[in-house]
Amino acid sequence: MNFFKRAWLNVWAKKGRSVLLILVSSAILMFVLAGLLIRSAAVKAMETAKNDAGATMTLSANRQAAFKKMQSSSSSSSSKSSRPKLTLTPVKLSDATKIAKLSNIKSYNVISSTTANAKSYDTVSTSTGMGGNSGGPGGMKATGSSSGDTQIDGVTSTALTTAFANSQSKLTKGRGITAADKGTNHVVIEKDLASQNNLTVGDTMTVKETTGSKSTVKVKVVGIYKASSTSAASAGPMSTDPANTIYASYTLANTIKGSKYAGTADSVTFNVKNPAQVSATKKAGNQLISSKYALSTDDASYQSIKSSMNNVEGFANKIVWLVAIAGTIILALIVILMIRERRFEIGVLLSLGEARWKIVAQFFTEMLMVIVIALAIAGVGGKFVGNQLGSQLVSQSTTTQTTSSGSTGQPGGSGQPGGSGGSGMRGGAGGPGSTTTNRAKTQNPNLEISVSAVDLAELGGFGLAITFLSIMIASGGILRLEPKKVLIS
Amino acid sequence: MLRTEDLGYWYQDKDQPLFQNINLEFETGQSYAILGHSGTGKTTFLSLIAGLDKPREGDIFLDDRSLKKIGLTNFRRHDVAIVFQAYNLFTYMSPLNNLLTAMAITGASHAGDKGYAQRILNDLGIGDDLITRNVQQLSGGQQQRVAIARTMCCDARLVVADEPTGNLDEDNTQAVIAQFQRIAHEQKKCVIIVTHEPDVAAQCDHQYRLENKQFVQLA
Repeated sequence: MNFFKRAWLNVWAKKGRSVLLILVSSAILMFVLAGLLIRSAAVKAMETAKNDAGATMTLSANRQAAFKKMQSSSSSSSSKSSRPKLTLTPVKLSDATKIAKLSNIKSYNVISSTTANAKSYDTVSTSTGMGGNSGGPGGMKATGSSSGDTQIDGVTSTALTTAFANSQSKLTKGRGITAADKGTNHVVIEKDLASQNNLTVGDTMTVKETTGSKSTVKVKVVGIYKASSTSAASAGPMSTDPANTIYASYTLANTIKGSKYAGTADSVTFNVKNPAQVSATKKAGNQLISSKYALSTDDASYQSIKSSMNNVEGFANKIVWLVAIAGTIILALIVILMIRERRFEIGVLLSLGEARWKIVAQFFTEMLMVIVIALAIAGVGGKFVGNQLGSQLVSQSTTTQTTSSGSTGQPGGSGQPGGSGGSGMRGGAGGPGSTTTNRAKTQNPNLEISVSAVDLAELGGFGLAITFLSIMIASGGILRLEPKKVLIS
Repeated sequence: MLRTEDLGYWYQDKDQPLFQNINLEFETGQSYAILGHSGTGKTTFLSLIAGLDKPREGDIFLDDRSLKKIGLTNFRRHDVAIVFQAYNLFTYMSPLNNLLTAMAITGASHAGDKGYAQRILNDLGIGDDLITRNVQQLSGGQQQRVAIARTMCCDARLVVADEPTGNLDEDNTQAVIAQFQRIAHEQKKCVIIVTHEPDVAAQCDHQYRLENKQFVQLA
């Protein structure tokens, strides 16, 4: 294989030209690698997004069906005094359990909220100048309902609530509510409420039911949290101060609501394992429940990241192919010029009886030597270029995504309208601190760009392909070259 | 050894051939000079017998085997060695590597034998201090001697040279012609030199002049 030796002698003898070729090839491969890295990072980010961003599915009363029922009752009733009310059926936990058994459900959070009146402590009062602060927790109150000054958010786990998941609320002492608190009177109270009443972890406090026998319930403080929003004004004129929100197990909230609410919930939020299959899971879930209930899905975070990453991945793909094609053309032009410059050498080789394919192989070997060094340089520099390009792309993509989805955003979770009866479900659109969903915190997707062996292998493949194609394009001249025309003039 | 049979060549117009019906024979151990004015077709003739081009009519035989059957690439690889006026060495190599490369390509019996290549170069006045330098650092005469050494290290029995002394001074011309004579008489090869210099031609065993589309033997 004499052409290997010739190739090496040529590359070594013409160091200046070889260095220039290495620089050009490095630049081409660096951009190819940057594209490859961004693409693979985008794919990885998509996988991470499935786990981190997640998606939720909420089981709640079917408000639309209830409204239709109310309308039909209204049209059949002529008496004004017996005007029908909107009656929403609380979610049965047995139905929720069925859905929780679906394969794509990771965990679920039962949410049952109510209000109670302070008995052994004073609530935090905030003067907003917009009316009283002892009203309902927000939204429209159901007819006949009676609201207390303390908001009780019954949950399966505080960690699964939006406020805690998004770090709007943070535990400062003790612990949060967990599934193990089911059936207990454990509560987690706000820091301002605790300091105003000198309460700490381990203390007990008493609340008074707002309906029925209006009996008192003694609760034990197991944790203290700090809410980022402490102004009732931000929660609306009818809201209680956020500091008066107590977290408890949903069983305690149900007890305060009344005995008929045992084994029910305002809503149940399911965390979906694979957000990409949220629609299929919803379909399967709908088959397990009656029409009195509705399943709604929220995969906005996932969709946002997915869309953003799809943009990045698509752009990265374009970079890879554009640079590869442009690189092939650039290298082919360089090789063509190189071959034209070396036609006498080719002529001598042909006059010695060298096979044309071996001459092509010599040029290919020379370029291969250059590409191997360029690969090493690109491997080092590609990560840097990829990082710069990737963060720019992500920031652009996230900005675009935020702008396009901004108009559909809602300030709070979608609450349940007030139910019938004195201890109806908490009404309306919740203010800050509402617990109606436990959507995972939406994060800007960060591209973790790192050069792996697979990336380098892929880059090597591209390098080889670019070299091969450029040599093939340029070798047309070698194959057509007539030694007589070159050597004897 | 080499024979042309009704050889003819033209570029554009068949009615205006460079030469036609050429029947010549070249033997090993002899040197031949082909003289002629510029444009008469002597270099074209050389390109045909060197296997660099195909004749328009007639044929060339090597030991009674047609070059068409041997194949031009095979013929160039094994049977012919060419010396050019412009030397045409590998400019990125040393004299030694030029010879080793030619020996490797042609599959010469001494392929890979550095000592053999070195001896040939030394015999031609290319000392050890020069054989590893880049050929571009050598003088014209030295480069031409490297080109001649390249023909000597290969096993080809036919050596053709196109104006090999065209770029050389008198001393180098004489040295180069003497080498060609050694190749013909000592290595028993057939040497065909195309030249326009009568003094150079006069030192060869046989001289032909190409005029009026025919070869005329002078001596």
